[in-house]
Amino acid sequence: MTDLTPITALGGTAPRVLGAARLTLSERPELALASLALGRGAEPPAPEGLALPGPGGLSVQGALAAFWTGPDQWMVEGADLAETDFAARLQQAAPGAAVTEQTDGWACFEIAGEAAQIEALAERLVNLPRDAYAPGRASRTALHHMGVFLLRRSPDRLAVWGMRSAAGSLWHALSDTMARMEALHDS
Amino acid sequence: MTRIDGGLTDRGTTLGFRFNGRAYAGHPGDTLASALLANGVQLMGRGFKYHRPRGAISAGSEEPNALVTLRSGARAEPNTRATVAELFDGLEARSQNHAGPLERDLLAVNDLLSPFFAAGFYYKTFMWPKAFWEKLYEPAIRKAAGLGALSGLPDPDAYDRGYRHCDLLVIGGGAAGLAAALAAGRAGAEVILADEDFRLGGRLLAEGGRIGGRPAADWAAEAAAELAAMPNVRLMTRTTVFGAYDHGIFGAVERVADHLAAPGGKVRQTLWRITAKRSILAAGATERHIPFRDNDRPGIMLSGAIRAYLNRWGVTGQRQAADPVAIFANGDDGHRTAAQLAARGVPVLGVIDPRADAPNLGGYETFAGAMVTGTKGRLGLTAIEVMRNGRAEWLSCGLLGVSGGWNPNVHLASHHRGRPVWDEDHLAFLPGEGGPAGLIPAGAAAGQGGTAEALADGLRAAGQALGDLGIAPAPVELPAAEAEPARQEAFWHVPGKGRAWVDFQNDVTVKDIALAHRENMRPVEHLKRWTTLGMATDQGKTANVTALAVMAELTGKAIPETGTTIFRPPYTGVSLSVLGGGDTGKAFRPTRLTPTHAWAEAQGAAFVEVGPWMRAQYFPRPGETHWRESVDREAQAVRAAVGLCDVTTLGKIDVQGADAGEFLNRVYANMMGTLPVGKVRYGLMLREDGHAYDDGTCARLGEAHYVVTTTTANAGTVFRNMEFARQCLWPELDVQLISTTDAWAQIAVAGPKSRELLSRIADGFDLSNEAFPFMACAALTVCGGLRARLFRISFSGELAYEIAVPARYGQALMERLMALGADLGATPYGTEALGVLRIEKGHAAGAELNGQTTAAMLGLGRMVSQKKDAIGAVMSRREGVAQDTRRLVGLAPADPARKVVPGSHLFAPGAPEDTAHDQGWITSACFSPHAGHMIGLGFLENGASRLGETVIAANPLEGERVELRVVSAHFVDPEGGRLRD
Repeated sequence: MTDLTPITALGGTAPRVLGAARLTLSERPELALASLALGRGAEPPAPEGLALPGPGGLSVQGALAAFWTGPDQWMVEGADLAETDFAARLQQAAPGAAVTEQTDGWACFEIAGEAAQIEALAERLVNLPRDAYAPGRASRTALHHMGVFLLRRSPDRLAVWGMRSAAGSLWHALSDTMARMEALHDS
Repeated sequence: MTRIDGGLTDRGTTLGFRFNGRAYAGHPGDTLASALLANGVQLMGRGFKYHRPRGAISAGSEEPNALVTLRSGARAEPNTRATVAELFDGLEARSQNHAGPLERDLLAVNDLLSPFFAAGFYYKTFMWPKAFWEKLYEPAIRKAAGLGALSGLPDPDAYDRGYRHCDLLVIGGGAAGLAAALAAGRAGAEVILADEDFRLGGRLLAEGGRIGGRPAADWAAEAAAELAAMPNVRLMTRTTVFGAYDHGIFGAVERVADHLAAPGGKVRQTLWRITAKRSILAAGATERHIPFRDNDRPGIMLSGAIRAYLNRWGVTGQRQAADPVAIFANGDDGHRTAAQLAARGVPVLGVIDPRADAPNLGGYETFAGAMVTGTKGRLGLTAIEVMRNGRAEWLSCGLLGVSGGWNPNVHLASHHRGRPVWDEDHLAFLPGEGGPAGLIPAGAAAGQGGTAEALADGLRAAGQALGDLGIAPAPVELPAAEAEPARQEAFWHVPGKGRAWVDFQNDVTVKDIALAHRENMRPVEHLKRWTTLGMATDQGKTANVTALAVMAELTGKAIPETGTTIFRPPYTGVSLSVLGGGDTGKAFRPTRLTPTHAWAEAQGAAFVEVGPWMRAQYFPRPGETHWRESVDREAQAVRAAVGLCDVTTLGKIDVQGADAGEFLNRVYANMMGTLPVGKVRYGLMLREDGHAYDDGTCARLGEAHYVVTTTTANAGTVFRNMEFARQCLWPELDVQLISTTDAWAQIAVAGPKSRELLSRIADGFDLSNEAFPFMACAALTVCGGLRARLFRISFSGELAYEIAVPARYGQALMERLMALGADLGATPYGTEALGVLRIEKGHAAGAELNGQTTAAMLGLGRMVSQKKDAIGAVMSRREGVAQDTRRLVGLAPADPARKVVPGSHLFAPGAPEDTAHDQGWITSACFSPHAGHMIGLGFLENGASRLGETVIAANPLEGERVELRVVSAHFVDPEGGRLRD
């Protein structure tokens, strides 16, 4: 193990958490991420039993989860695997596919709270119909001019993956919108 | 006080407010206009040009006159319509456009000078002397004639934006809109019902009619309650749908906190982008007035507005309750107002109706075959002149309602250049073909303005929308509504002497239109620009059609032959703050930070914006008083010891696949497929037109695995172009691409002691020149097992490496390198020193790759391989490009004390310094601590064969000229021995 100390995308040594009355926003640096792309004409693999979903889909199998990012392309998440060589593990599970380490290419923020609150927040952030962020759905879209992936893991959880270098701007957009929404309820 | 019983305000609660400093009281549910009228205040502002006293003529968003400034200080908001400003406790409003008190406006002198202010006056008068326009005439005119003034202070409030999607957007919550929303909501469609008002019901709240045997306002409230309870229906009140855009997209502004004294933590307004599969335009109609002499006094109002004040707000509108009210109407609609007023015990003088067979609905006198031909009253109406059977008679009158028919609010239907169509039966323009796809006009907006008609038309429109959407309709019972008398006759203006206003907001009179006609400004487009009719905040809602009719009369043509008014967004004014969407200042756009940003901040670095990135520019040390001291020190540290620079911002593209080498051969001008595994090669990319557009290195990590690096500026462009090539140009190639720019923190370790420093962190990795020579790359581990990538590449010309680790470890690695390199003189350097080092080495960067330069000009002509094709290769050989003789050279001042200024143009000594003799230009320059003077890079005609010559660098803008020597672009180590050692 290296003796270097990692920092989160927001620059802390511990994940940042922002709890408000109705929603909680938290940084999720423990999630590993790797891209998986098929070679031309190859059949989709099922790494560690994980079914690679179609457009808009989000599938989960054990510690892995996958969402579609383009024709023959997926992102695969690894729960609590960020400190491992996750890309190598995925490559082993999907020989022949092009696997690229993406863990620190992106930063994941998760919003937890009542479904209605999450949806009210989402409609102020992304120009998507509600179906696109219904529970079990994943989508790729723009949020405040930043490219993001939205994963609705469950009715009460929405994950937003954005580019790591812009994590501060993404956090600002999410937390600011959350604060404005809270204020609407305080009338 | 003219408040009577009834209405929809909460009389149990009193709200205090101030107008022009004076305290008044109103009730929740009031607008500023209704509350002022209830207090007997008719005078609310001054006219645009002539500064004549003006009051509210409407009860809605079409208001041209009653423009006020709400609030004060930074929250002061000019040009707010008193007729839609929702009253709140503590509201402060001021009238606009007057010098001195509203009642005694000194600029009213303009009214006496009115003959000089006719349409076209400015164009003809302020022509000479020309120079006076900008400095004298225009400021003076703007000061005298105008609307409210901005505070000039930053907006203290927050705004935001949002996106909503639905099956059906219903625009307008009156009879038609409510009926349509009920039908679609009950059928299960996802419905948004938006209305600009704070209460749903539209004219149902104003007309005092009955639906299903009970007051129409009650029916509206019940309908709204039913809709509010439906999970598939979203009600958006205080929301103006201001524009229809492509693909069923509508812009809407929700006034979230405009009705509050201060927003608290709330946003002031929200900009909504609504995407709707179908939409119903149920925006209602706007009543027309009839121009007659002096028709602009406070106390002269639209007849329908009087009904609205009466029924919705319980206000009769005179200054004193005993003042008689008269109506001037060309149709039955005006008679309804008179009958309702009479029934409520308001003194009604009568209805003046030009029709010989004018009806009488009871409780008032009908002046059939009569017209209003004049008015009196300095600050408010006191008398009207009625002409009947050729006899004029002055009658005392405190409020005059005018009714000239209704114009359907076709605005949104014409936003895609849908042209409204004149309908002679309705005497109005109705929505025509060619408007926004999927938009269905209904109710008064479609000419179906009677309550029963509007309800039925709303159901019809909903049925049509549901049919299009494939949603089965649910049964909706149409409630019974009384039929209103609605007969009317065309009557557009009262002929005669004096001024009769057509457009109140722009002070355009019938005479002005006649003048435009005489000046041949007859097409409506010319009429508008010549007279300013239809401009400014109300966009002629109460004026356009009447003006067309007057022009038609003057030209002897029919109205549709004269022209058509169409509309652009926005329907009503939209604040720039809300259009901005809420993000200002630092949040205006996303910022990208490098992995070592916090560390650099802690070192006191100065930062520079590089696209969205913030990069450390230089790291000042105590005692350094000028940035150049820091930069010189940093550059020298790299040449003498070892420097560290975060270069994460350079784009990194992971390229994999069996055909990756072939793919790269096609995107790079030079050969890349032959690169051995474990090696790096410099690569140049050309645009399709043959000019150079990006350079960088390409590393081959494995048999079918490459990493392409790009410049910081072009990271996105190169990735996009490669993705385009992969998907569209050569889909047959087996290649996979993905950006990994952010994934890896990359640190340049440059200088003669870089190998020594890296050997202190590399885990058992042989860094010797033999094992890891110049342009080698490898995966390794550092600092006890951290996976890393090492590239032996150099931008500075020194022995140098770039080391990449997962981004989260970038900062720790930088700190470790600084700590372990302390004894070696490890020095952080920023983009300024980076620039100095590369200029000294003669490396091209953005200033050289400016889109106009070729590989040959950069001295890289041989990199464009002849053995293969690549993007831009053929075009780079075309005539006119291939013959360009300008070459990148180094430039040093003949007198070392002189400056080398980038952007200067190069001339042969003695040649005229003009375009014809231009021989090139200086692209980059810096002070070189290595050379001890300023140096530059530039493109010079036949530069390659002119080493040693003298050229003149001229900067004619500043009158500067400097003698320069043409030298090699490589000021440092031209043989390249250092980077290979």
